[in-house]
Amino acid sequence: MATDRFALPEPGSPATVTFPPVSRSLMPNGLGVWSIVQAPVPVVSCALVVNRGTAGDPQDRPGLASFVASLAIESAGDRDSIALADALARIGAHLDVQPSTDVTVISVQTLTRHLPAALDLMADIVRRPQFAAGDFARVRELRLSRLRQASRVASTIADRALIAGVYGDHPYGHGALGTSRAVAAITIDQVRDWWAQAWSPAGATFVAAGDIDAKTLEREVARTFGDWRATSAAAETPPPRADAAARRLLAVHRPGSAQAEVRVGQLGPRRDTPDYHALVTVNALLGGQFTSRINRNLREQRAITYGARSAFDMRRAGGLFSCDTSVQSDSAAIAASEILRELGEVRIPGAVSADELARAQAGLTRGYVRHFETVGQLTRALVDLATYRLPDDTFDRFVPRISALTTDDIVSAAAATMRPDDCTVVVVADLDRHRDALDALGRDVAVTSVEF
Amino acid sequence: MRVPFEKRTLPNGLDVIVHEDHRVPLVAVSVWYHVGSKNERPGKTGFAHLFEHLMFEGSEHHRRSYFEPLQHAGGTLNGSTSTDRTDYWEVVPTEAARLALWMEADRMGWLLPALTPDNFETQRGVVINERRQNYENKPYGLAQFTLARALYPEGHPYSWPTIGEIDDLQAASIDDVRGFFARYYHPANASLVIAGDLATTKAFEMAEELFGGIPAGPRVEAVSAPPVESRAQTVFMNDRVDLARIYLAWPTPPLFADGDAELDLAADLLANGRTSRLYRRLVHDRRVATELAASQSSRELVSTFQIVATAAPGQSLATLRTAIDEEIDRLRQSGPDDSELARGRAQAEAAFIYRVQSLGGTGGRADQLNAYNVYQGRPDGFDADLSRYLNATPERLRDTVARWIAPERATVLSVLPMGHAADSAGL
Repeated sequence: MATDRFALPEPGSPATVTFPPVSRSLMPNGLGVWSIVQAPVPVVSCALVVNRGTAGDPQDRPGLASFVASLAIESAGDRDSIALADALARIGAHLDVQPSTDVTVISVQTLTRHLPAALDLMADIVRRPQFAAGDFARVRELRLSRLRQASRVASTIADRALIAGVYGDHPYGHGALGTSRAVAAITIDQVRDWWAQAWSPAGATFVAAGDIDAKTLEREVARTFGDWRATSAAAETPPPRADAAARRLLAVHRPGSAQAEVRVGQLGPRRDTPDYHALVTVNALLGGQFTSRINRNLREQRAITYGARSAFDMRRAGGLFSCDTSVQSDSAAIAASEILRELGEVRIPGAVSADELARAQAGLTRGYVRHFETVGQLTRALVDLATYRLPDDTFDRFVPRISALTTDDIVSAAAATMRPDDCTVVVVADLDRHRDALDALGRDVAVTSVEF
Repeated sequence: MRVPFEKRTLPNGLDVIVHEDHRVPLVAVSVWYHVGSKNERPGKTGFAHLFEHLMFEGSEHHRRSYFEPLQHAGGTLNGSTSTDRTDYWEVVPTEAARLALWMEADRMGWLLPALTPDNFETQRGVVINERRQNYENKPYGLAQFTLARALYPEGHPYSWPTIGEIDDLQAASIDDVRGFFARYYHPANASLVIAGDLATTKAFEMAEELFGGIPAGPRVEAVSAPPVESRAQTVFMNDRVDLARIYLAWPTPPLFADGDAELDLAADLLANGRTSRLYRRLVHDRRVATELAASQSSRELVSTFQIVATAAPGQSLATLRTAIDEEIDRLRQSGPDDSELARGRAQAEAAFIYRVQSLGGTGGRADQLNAYNVYQGRPDGFDADLSRYLNATPERLRDTVARWIAPERATVLSVLPMGHAADSAGL
């Protein structure tokens, strides 16, 4: 065997990949219809994006958007809850309603031959939910039980504490499921009102990808959603002002915890920031990949965790940067201080070498096509375009933009965005045993509880 | 269902399966080693999985993390360990196909020279953290371990958890790593799938070039275990949870054996989703349960059928147990309606189509080809597998449930909130 056999192969030159063409039309009621033809398997993936999500929850009713989503997929049209689930199951379709902070996405995946039936059911859920009293009472009980269950999950407690710490009273500051207090107070009239205002074709977009041509899809959407009338336009979410719990360590006592959940977070940019590509790259250096600095540090060097990752969740009105990990109980302070140190170091000129940048760029660009392999992934890409009102060429610009970045671009974007001193730090652990060790971080420790 | 492929077995015993598909410029690589936690022994549990971690730490000709070159080539990669097998996979852009194959070959042939005590200690620490994060620190996280210990007799290969017991992980030694590699990690105990944007001839050439020189290892004897019969027993544990939960479990026919598919259908019909009999009764109509699920977890030696129900606040597990027993009883007496079975078949057909959409990764086409090849000796199992569901009859489903899922011979685990005594479950 030649020596060549034992030399690590270099990957060849990447092929240029373009995002598949998107057909777009606008129906008279304001509903946009976007689609991509891709027919490797006889499957169509559809999603309807309506312009209100959990940020639209009334101040005293956190959880309403999510509650409406759960109730809409109970009885709808002329079917009761069980009959609706049965009709979906009989065609093997998967239907889901998922509120995010800015939008609610009603999606369905179906075999092509069942598309008309699947869209009929989807239209029933969107346009003709019954909001029946029996369903309402049952769904509320289930939601209250789910909140009780969630209140026991360390990672969920930590996530809630973090968004409350970063956003405070801002509409992005509460968990999607809301609180037991709010859910117990929801009335069926509030459900109907919220649904009537939020689930509207005004500014909504129907997206689809799969084994279907644009004309057929538009005809099917016109048949099922063409006479859907707009009610009102969604209100815009105001931008958050400042990190609510800046510089603090929020400690949550969870008796008997076997690990410490750690979160470090801060306000971040909106999705339309001009620094988008630089910050995606900053995140790849910090915690976006297995090989990123934070995971290497906490997992591969210190062996105090199974993994650590970071992400920018760039929302319409103002995003969240967060880093999360679960570490052994005695290591929460060191984990947080190492994360904060890493956030600070990418801001320093010279801290990112040309080589490290080149590897991060290659990691982001060379495999970019992996995100657009299945019809479900293509539909999600279209949902992103619709949610953040992004230009048509968003995905085609990604690779050239990332590739053009210099180390100066990275460091200046990081310097403008990362603010380790202002970060909120959250630790969920058994504080009876591990409270004192948290002082090592040198921050005010606020022992807090999280409402579920 | 068409997942075209060609299969060859190299002289060293490595099965190579190539599935050519040029629609997306990606190549998926999947390597299955036919070894899992069932090959371990009591006192040495968790080793197959700990070993899997070490497979990412470097090999003789690349003595550092496996993630670096592959992620920087635009790839994604991971591995997983089950009771029965261990898998490693990459999905890379076409131009990095050789890199991915080279790395799989280097760790198949030349892992040990790169193994260091430091790497070993680090990954031992990582795995102990993984166990605490995913099991100890999760509500109900240890229930499956308790159930497996009750269901399978001491010493049975499915009686211990794949992640391993903490004491065993602490006691594992680097010599164990060497022995394990020599015994299980070699071409004759492995199966390689190369799927995607690579010509079949080219893929075989690369496989032969890179893997052909790895010596065949010793034959691995199949693990055997005495048959396990279901028996009535009740087990109980406290956990830091708010709502009580009941698990009923039975040993059932192995993967692909007679009855396996019928039990999969029975699980959906009994307790999965809003159309299931128990959901309607316990969650929808009587509102005494909040969560329900059932599964036939199909495995090589013996499968496990399980029903899990979480009580609504203030409801007793005895109420749930009675309803579950009655529904099983009804199913084993009268079988499913034709209409229920038709629904199950429709869902199975759709699921088979949905799951061939992804080329690689967990559950992708490459992974499925390997699963059929390792468990059945031939990669083209799709149609035969689906036909088990399409050909199920009400009578066979009824008889299978009657034979294997007897309420009077269930292993029953109740998980109660802290401070609640066993007898408060009312079972």
